[in-house]
Amino acid sequence: MKIKIKISRCDPMGKGWCEPFLQAYDIEAKEGMTILDALHLVKDVQDGTLAFRRSCRSAICGSCAVNINGFPKLACKTHLIAEYKKRKEIIIEPLSNHRVIKDLVVDFNTFWEKINKVEPWLNRKTAISGQRSAVSKQTVLKINNSSKCIMCGCCNGACNTLEIDKRFIAPAALAKAWRFVGDVREVDKKKRLEKLSEAHGMWDCVRCVNCTQYCPKDVAPLQAIERLRAEAINQGVIDNHGAKHVESMVDSVKRVGRLDEAAMTFKTLGFLRSIGMIPFGFRMEMHGKMPMPLIFPQIEKIEEVKKIYEEVKKRKKQAEVKVEK
Amino acid sequence: MSKTLKYAYYPGCASQAITKEANSTTLKVAKALGIELYDMPKANCCGAGLVTDYDYDLSLALNSRIFAQAEEMGMDIMTICSTCLMVMSTANRDLQNDTELLKRTNEVLACADIRYNGTVKIKQLLWVLAEDYGLDNLKKKVVKPLKNLKIAPFYGCHSLRPSDALGFDDPERPWSLDAVITTLGAETVEYDGKTKCCGFQMDLITEDTAVEMTGKRLLDAKNEGGNCMVTPCPFCHINLDNYQGMAEKKLNLKIGMPVFHLAQLVGLAIGMTAEELELSRHLVSARDVLKESLIV
Repeated sequence: MKIKIKISRCDPMGKGWCEPFLQAYDIEAKEGMTILDALHLVKDVQDGTLAFRRSCRSAICGSCAVNINGFPKLACKTHLIAEYKKRKEIIIEPLSNHRVIKDLVVDFNTFWEKINKVEPWLNRKTAISGQRSAVSKQTVLKINNSSKCIMCGCCNGACNTLEIDKRFIAPAALAKAWRFVGDVREVDKKKRLEKLSEAHGMWDCVRCVNCTQYCPKDVAPLQAIERLRAEAINQGVIDNHGAKHVESMVDSVKRVGRLDEAAMTFKTLGFLRSIGMIPFGFRMEMHGKMPMPLIFPQIEKIEEVKKIYEEVKKRKKQAEVKVEK
Repeated sequence: MSKTLKYAYYPGCASQAITKEANSTTLKVAKALGIELYDMPKANCCGAGLVTDYDYDLSLALNSRIFAQAEEMGMDIMTICSTCLMVMSTANRDLQNDTELLKRTNEVLACADIRYNGTVKIKQLLWVLAEDYGLDNLKKKVVKPLKNLKIAPFYGCHSLRPSDALGFDDPERPWSLDAVITTLGAETVEYDGKTKCCGFQMDLITEDTAVEMTGKRLLDAKNEGGNCMVTPCPFCHINLDNYQGMAEKKLNLKIGMPVFHLAQLVGLAIGMTAEELELSRHLVSARDVLKESLIV
């Protein structure tokens, strides 16, 4: 079957910037062929100047992440004919949110800088000696997903916060951070969580769910971020808008069973920044949209919700005691 | 339609407060279409993902309490909030895929004498219109086709992702909102922000980033020729409408893009008035666009 594939071409030649354009190539697609096979075919037979990264061809090395029809995927894990049948076209572009070096090759320095920021190694009480440190299966499973990351960059390429804020730590590094914060042997959890709670850190995730959606290895970075946040609150690292936002929601649901917008704004922003919201509030009020302190009644049977809170808390304590033993 | 559609109706917190016009217009439109919505007076907040950030087990238990009520009512849940949809669907996916987790959650719920059996489905008004009610039936109700409106469909993250939990639309080439728009007689606009994030979850945390994100989505839609926007999510609406002024200030240009709730758009096409649909509650007025398009 003949398929026309369009590949983004761009060669800044040291100028730092160029206008990318799409170049079309006709290839003979065979059953079982991947997008990476197609790229190889173009480079080997039609156009040796095409640049792309690749290595293992088996979704292990993480080199060949590109945008396929607009979304980040591993070229070696995406079937050409299936993708073409689904979308009626094949457009291959470099990963978003990264500077293009040439064609499909992007600069990964910023990616590695972010990973380095979370200090991707274990801090232990004592240096590793001859003795074994046994870790239960249950505690390993907590961080297992994060360990599966192959550093392909699909999540960062899809990240909506990173699109706006280049300094955002981004999902790949946060998934890696959870790998260590969630490790029972790690001794610097609190210090790590404090650092992660700074500006451009874990609380700046906007929960667009793109990272989890496009991770080719089921790392589920968003889940890692949620766990980091829960652990931060658990460890008392709460002096920031993000943690306060969560606490005010948890408190509001316990009190009335639902979200109390006014109380949440106030508790999240604090007194001074809430005053800054007053002009905005007035504009909202002209359309009847001022967040008012909760005047509608609490939900029916709120006592059930309160009981659930107590029960979950009790069980958590029991589980912690068990781990300590 | 052979059978009347009945749902346990879960509007979500935002639609009962700051964007309450989403709730009231949904009730009116559902009535006009003959969809029966039943109140869930006991239902608690889904946690909007924030309770998940605090304690996953608590989030599961609270969501199961909602599901158990729908089970009691013998109906599936219909929500008009994409974040509720996403939070409930992911919790439901985890509980349905993991009997051990369901058992553990039920042990927690036992303290309040509640039990969830894992049988509930969670739907968004958008899906109900596009599939359960059906586009053909919807078309029959249209008395005032929305000609001349070029509408940018803003799906919102949580109507699309994670797709394995939601299980309805195509996260890369979503069709449901586009299909509803064309059924109502309007034109759709393709633009970059269609499947992207409005920024809402960061409004109170890093407002700058949130506002810039909102502005970018609106601007993309405008540059592609859109003269208004529609979203099935009240949180997206808060940012796209209420925060549009701030976005204009930040980007230093005028956008002026009216944003409709899904129910309002349907309401316009089936002959309801701007007053009935409470369009005046929006910060960006839709009056000019609707006048130019001869809709009101």
